Amino acid sequence: MDTPHCYRQAVVTRRSILKISAMALASSALPRAVLPQTPADYTLEIAPTTHDISAKHSIKTTAYNGQIPGPLLRFREGKPVTIDVANRTASEEIVHWHGLFLPPDVDGAMEEGTPMIPPGGQNSKAARYIFTPNPAGFRWYHTHTFAGDDLKKGQYSGQHGFLFVEPAQNPARYDQEIFLALHDWDGEMTGSGDGSMNPEYRFSTINGKTLGFGEPLRVQSGQRILLHILNSSPTEQHWLALPGHQFQVIALDGNPVPTPQLVPMLRLAPAERVCAVVEMNNPGVWILGEVRKHIQAAGMGIVVEYANRTTPPTWQQPEKLLWSYAQFAAKTSQPAANNAIEIPLVFESKFVGHGAPDHWTINGKSWPNVESPLLQAGQRYRLLFKNPSSDDHPVHLHRHSFELRSLPGFPNIHGIQKDVVLVDAKSETHVEFTANHRGATLFHCHQQNHMDEGFMMLFRYA
Amino acid sequence: MLEAAMQRLLLTLGIVALLAPALHAQGNYEIQVYGADTEPPKSLMVELHSNFTPNGQKHIIDGVYPTNHQEHETLELTEGLTDWSEIGFYVFTSEQDGHGVQWVGDHIRPRVRVPDSWHWPVGVSLSTEVGYQRAVYSPDTWTWEIRPIVDKAVGRWYFAVNPALERTFHGPDVKQGVGFAPGAKIGYDFTKVVSGGLEYYADYGSITAPDTLHNQQQQIFLVTDLNVSPKWEINVGVGVGPTASTDHWIVKGILGRHFSWGKQSQTD
Repeated sequence: MDTPHCYRQAVVTRRSILKISAMALASSALPRAVLPQTPADYTLEIAPTTHDISAKHSIKTTAYNGQIPGPLLRFREGKPVTIDVANRTASEEIVHWHGLFLPPDVDGAMEEGTPMIPPGGQNSKAARYIFTPNPAGFRWYHTHTFAGDDLKKGQYSGQHGFLFVEPAQNPARYDQEIFLALHDWDGEMTGSGDGSMNPEYRFSTINGKTLGFGEPLRVQSGQRILLHILNSSPTEQHWLALPGHQFQVIALDGNPVPTPQLVPMLRLAPAERVCAVVEMNNPGVWILGEVRKHIQAAGMGIVVEYANRTTPPTWQQPEKLLWSYAQFAAKTSQPAANNAIEIPLVFESKFVGHGAPDHWTINGKSWPNVESPLLQAGQRYRLLFKNPSSDDHPVHLHRHSFELRSLPGFPNIHGIQKDVVLVDAKSETHVEFTANHRGATLFHCHQQNHMDEGFMMLFRYA
Repeated sequence: MLEAAMQRLLLTLGIVALLAPALHAQGNYEIQVYGADTEPPKSLMVELHSNFTPNGQKHIIDGVYPTNHQEHETLELTEGLTDWSEIGFYVFTSEQDGHGVQWVGDHIRPRVRVPDSWHWPVGVSLSTEVGYQRAVYSPDTWTWEIRPIVDKAVGRWYFAVNPALERTFHGPDVKQGVGFAPGAKIGYDFTKVVSGGLEYYADYGSITAPDTLHNQQQQIFLVTDLNVSPKWEINVGVGVGPTASTDHWIVKGILGRHFSWGKQSQTD
């Protein structure tokens, strides 16, 4: 299947809209979306903001519409949408629609060909994104800019928001739906024992608030709560638990899993999403929080309060971190051999001094001087992620989803569709995908510091 | 290009060191330019400082043993207290023909640093050290030092300065008041494991009335740091004293090992 019908992004000023719309009337080939009498379905404004993350601390950052996370965008699968994005900051910006199958000129990655949104003030240029959302499920949108040494820019900022594509038919059973975003703030690049440098953060939040600040999640006994959880952290993995309850994981990265499972905790690598149903069958006041003590102490938690319960919130500390993608894999027999073409991708770091972050390479090369494998439309490919480095890497393939086929300790699995997978340090992971969305396709580590230091490459279609 | 320049600089200074003149008395027990980091809590750094003076003071002066052919072994234990503080303890010993192995003295050294959350562009810490050493090894028996520490790593380069101030409570230098004894280091990462550089140590005497150059102590060391493991610290160097009051030749080594304790849970 090829990419659904989409329009190319247009970068227009408000003044130029009138001019362009006149031209549009004269030419049916131009997208109708630029006509002034057809206002956008959604409007996003990228602007500096000061955001209170606790009673004592606020963060100066950049956000969508002055809120963190940005507004929830709910689309209907297959129904075209129009989104105007105004950039009120002093630098170029871009919005990536993460997890959607979009053409490269609207996907939101400059490297694929999507135009950057110029900087400007109140009367600055706006960009109009027009596309048909697909596939259904829990996606998200975020900035896709370079941050480098500026740990306030790019994904270190508050530029992230939920995007939910409603399926044409939604059989999900739940009483309340809650979207949660995990994020880390106020990073400082520090050297680690092995000689590499990574950010360490002062604050960690859920939906932009530290534990105890802001409203609790209010639930009622007997409810089924559907949690849509996003890890929007620029670099950190997170583990979440809710004492006295379990999570019925039903989807990973917005895609239903073949084998839903009850699990005591969730792990989300940067950019990953988990959809899980929680049966509210243990009345009380609880903390839904980061399992690791120092991260919860930095603020990552939110109070879950049953109706008519007013006791102090309870946290029960797990002793181990438990997670495996493989538990959600299909239990059925393996699919027939599909003659997938193998593409080995080796992730390695290059030391450039104890006072600088390592450079990252794929098959020995750093962005932009990288290989660009040529894909044949319709062909199945097997990507062999080989990670001899000392860091885990949450790698992301744009504009496609892939199927997990081999994980450490699980050499032959199938059925889990994702767009991000965490490749553990010193390990190998294999995924397969079908090249069915023509155009330049970016592949990168979703850790902001790793992609900034060269961990990116492009696939191209023949 | 920078790498080549650094190699030439180190080679030149090495040759200068070989040609340096003869020297007079000095004691060296811990020869180290401090970095700004402190030991993490629930961990202990055990370091052995081994310093040998192949060519130093050869005569007893004012009852102090000569430093020539003295082998100094110093045990340093540093315990992390918090994310921003530590405390160190020293046991100084000396071995020399005719005197055998001798206990020299002990020091205690608390230290605090600027936390990472302050986002300072350089690492900064402040150390203070107080202790006793026997008069046959140091005419000043009770001393106190306060040592500001500033460091910075930029790419492959590393810079540190320790502009220390000293005060003697018992001994001939009591009259001197506050002395100035700075140290500095410049290093370069040749590889992830091997770094090389220069360390400079000095004692200018009183901060208000510095000694003449002849009486100042100054040393330059050509050093290498081997970053073989996060648990280990290895520093080796050879130094020269270009002033008359400084030992002519000193060879130094530091071997350190981090130990952690307490139940290290995945969820800590």
